[in-house]
Amino acid sequence: MNARRILQSEHVVGWAFAFPAVLLIVVFGIVPIIWSALMSFQRTNLLSTPDWIGLDNYRALSKDPLFKTSAIHAVIYAALFVPLSVGGGLFAAIALNRRVVGMRFYRIAVFVPVVASTIATAIMFLWLFDSHFGLANWALEKVGLGPFGFFTSPNGALYSIVVMTVWGWVGFNAIIYLAALQGVPQELLEAASIDGAKSWSIFRNVTLPLLGPATLFLVVFTSINAIQLFDEVYFLTLGGPGTATYVPVFYLFQLAFQQGIAGYAAAIAYVLLVVILVLTAIQLWVGKRMVYYSS
Amino acid sequence: MSDATIEEVAGEALLEPLPDEGDPGRGRTLFSAWHLILLPLAFVMIIPLLWMVVTSFETLNETRQFPPVLVPGSLRWQNYRDVLEQAPFARWFLNTLFVTVLVVIGNLIFCSLAGYAFARLKFFGRDVIFLLVLATLMIPFQVIMIPTFLIVRQLGLIDTLGALIVPNLAGAFGIFLLRQFFRTLPIELEEAARIDGASRLGILFKIVLPLSGPALATLAVITFMWTWNDFLWPLVTLYSEKNFTLQLGLTTFTGAHQSNTHLLMAANVMSMLPLLLLFFVAQRWFIRGIATTGLKG
Amino acid sequence: MGQVVFEHVNKVFPGGTVAIDDLSLEVPDGQFMILVGPSGCGKTTALRCVAGLEKPTSGTIRVGDRVVNDVTPRDRDIAMVFQNYALYPHMTVYKNLAFGLRQRKTEKGEIDRRVRSVSTMLGLDDLLRRRPAQLSGGQRQRVAMGRALVREPSAFLLDEPLSNLDAKLRVRMRAELKRLHTRLGITTVYVTHDQIEAMTLGDRIAVMSNGKLQQLGPPQELYDEPTNLFVAGFIGSPPMNLIRGRAEGGRITASDLTFERAGVPDGDVAVGIRPETVVQQSDGLPSFEFLVDVVEPLGDEIVVHGSTAGTPVETGAEEEELPTMLEGSRAPITARFDPGVRFHPGDRPRLGVPAERLHLFDLRTGAAIR
Repeated sequence: MNARRILQSEHVVGWAFAFPAVLLIVVFGIVPIIWSALMSFQRTNLLSTPDWIGLDNYRALSKDPLFKTSAIHAVIYAALFVPLSVGGGLFAAIALNRRVVGMRFYRIAVFVPVVASTIATAIMFLWLFDSHFGLANWALEKVGLGPFGFFTSPNGALYSIVVMTVWGWVGFNAIIYLAALQGVPQELLEAASIDGAKSWSIFRNVTLPLLGPATLFLVVFTSINAIQLFDEVYFLTLGGPGTATYVPVFYLFQLAFQQGIAGYAAAIAYVLLVVILVLTAIQLWVGKRMVYYSS
Repeated sequence: MSDATIEEVAGEALLEPLPDEGDPGRGRTLFSAWHLILLPLAFVMIIPLLWMVVTSFETLNETRQFPPVLVPGSLRWQNYRDVLEQAPFARWFLNTLFVTVLVVIGNLIFCSLAGYAFARLKFFGRDVIFLLVLATLMIPFQVIMIPTFLIVRQLGLIDTLGALIVPNLAGAFGIFLLRQFFRTLPIELEEAARIDGASRLGILFKIVLPLSGPALATLAVITFMWTWNDFLWPLVTLYSEKNFTLQLGLTTFTGAHQSNTHLLMAANVMSMLPLLLLFFVAQRWFIRGIATTGLKG
Repeated sequence: MGQVVFEHVNKVFPGGTVAIDDLSLEVPDGQFMILVGPSGCGKTTALRCVAGLEKPTSGTIRVGDRVVNDVTPRDRDIAMVFQNYALYPHMTVYKNLAFGLRQRKTEKGEIDRRVRSVSTMLGLDDLLRRRPAQLSGGQRQRVAMGRALVREPSAFLLDEPLSNLDAKLRVRMRAELKRLHTRLGITTVYVTHDQIEAMTLGDRIAVMSNGKLQQLGPPQELYDEPTNLFVAGFIGSPPMNLIRGRAEGGRITASDLTFERAGVPDGDVAVGIRPETVVQQSDGLPSFEFLVDVVEPLGDEIVVHGSTAGTPVETGAEEEELPTMLEGSRAPITARFDPGVRFHPGDRPRLGVPAERLHLFDLRTGAAIR
């Protein structure tokens, strides 16, 4: 084989094309995954040489009350955020899937929060939920409620974050549901109406089951998202008041980058990774039984 | 989901016109009961944004009132000028733009090359490598942040914009998105070009990419949004104020101007403006991009 | 009881497209009625108006003795088979069949009895627990039929139900459909663009074009006596050959073909020749010179394509514009012969046609001259 032939072979060309991206992904994706695992068995502060301490980090983690608090908050947060944002997204998508005047405006209104960053959103809600001058308290006062402390209230801070992040994610979920709704064949709805189903029954028996894959994806996706909650907590509450909004990634960040207890933080990261992998596995497993089309 | 299904679906999502594109106003009902749901929904969604914009034109005094002042006495553009004077906003803006543009360009180039290789070329170890790439798609960044930090420090990039650029020049999402799209293109076109004597690089740039406008636009817009809005990674890697991105700058600005709500809102409006403009210009690509994210499972 | 009636039905879509233009049509109880025409002729819209999926702009639609214009699809007592079957992908075959009955709160035992009797009739017994994705095209088609049958409606609506099957299966299902109709005798409105399906299945056929009813009648009548050029061009495969001609004093001339017919008013005409009416000997018959181009031996017959001097006539029923490869002033001619005839490309035989089997149309209005 001459040099030219070798240079033009699919092996060489393929590797040449894929190499830059694959190198980046290996260095900044694959290596850290493995390194993370190793770190979780070490005592290290990111500066000095690490000591190998086996499962000690995980053992300590199982007894750490602050990790427990963080985990509970993550679960509470997810238990509210997931159904509210997915349900809200479905509701919005159905409303937005109509042929009525002004739809362009309605869609923009629902979708636009998607482009707002977590920090920008937090700044808006910091003001909206201001305990003294906030619009939210003014509205609540009008209906005879409040005033609330929102982010400054030990009982309300986490729920305030739920409301804010649901606002930020409803549009995203609505877009995915809207795409899924467009994928429901019109004839199926027509067939159901000829079969005698009324609109609610068509929705229950035909539309909703066909949205199953989208729902599954969104539940898993928003759950994984909920576990990763960080920006809002860091910006708004720093885990407070007290430990009212401590969540795992915030705790991890503090440990690794502020207290220099990186091995322990890596152990938290790995626990999160396992949870996320389990969720993904569930998605793949349930998803397999949900694909009705073989087209 | 079987492989074929994902491809078809992902391809369709990119190719098919979205709801109501192209027939504005045709066959629409002027008033329907849905308006009674849509109007409050839109109102609730838009209030935080609207309130931000309104407040950004108020005086400090107007923001310190309860009940709140809903209509400012005058449009105080001065707030925006004050923000630009009191913080290196222009600098942060340029930093963010620089990082974002480079990351978008990097993704377009490297993900196109890799996506094409995974879509059409049979090379040694392809399937294993592709699986590895897919695996990183599922791993959230938070989980691998600590070692990534160490690697970036080893490369001497800490507290430079390079820390934000280099690790993000290519990503699993882009590779996957483009690979799926490329596979929906008719292979006969490429075969015809090969018979005409084109090289693989020539095929990619002269045949495949010109046909991939929708996918490239989607990737560009989504990457732009992610990079522009990223917070945690800049927080971990950047220390000097002159190197900050907008998101990071906003947090310091908030810290320094806690009670100057009118300035805070003006700063926030400015930080969001580029993405809002991009959203209005490229709305369909945002929506396509997000709809495609939903199919990556 | 089960008749379906259109009375001056119009349908205009928003944007101004006229889908149905003053359609009046009566399908008596138990009849198999075909709506046929090229795509976009309004046949599917007409069917959807009966189903209640579209609302006519004006006119009356009756199912049984009821005016159903304002009745929901649910309460029209009709069942429909869709072109893509529209089977619920997440339900088993059994549930697909039972869905319509369940929606009507039919009693459980009764649902089971009816589902099983239909599934036996259609040979679906072994498939009841499968999902549509696990079925072949023919099986899906039968499930779609079954879903309509279990309802025991007063009318069936079928929208191109065979168009997604391959050619062989289509021929079999066609026979099966006919058998089923003979057995059950339920009023059926069947939409197709395939004129062979129309001819083989229908008790009567309604040919539509541009939203208008062109001709209504039994299949043979449509074939033998098309009322206008459109029907002449649409019914029959290969279609009728049409050459431009001139009538003067009862004598008709189309290039070198001449014949006499009493009572034909003077003017431009189109002369129609069915491919199978052509014979090889021309003694005493009106005849024309035929230039053989392509010979297609089909086993049971031979189809010969060629041309004759003259000007072709367009009917509006052509599937699509084909660039003609003939030199100017020649008209394409297709002829069918029994096997055994020997033609070669380039031959120029003279072909005859019995004068009484030639069709005549007024070239200006398109109407048949009888």
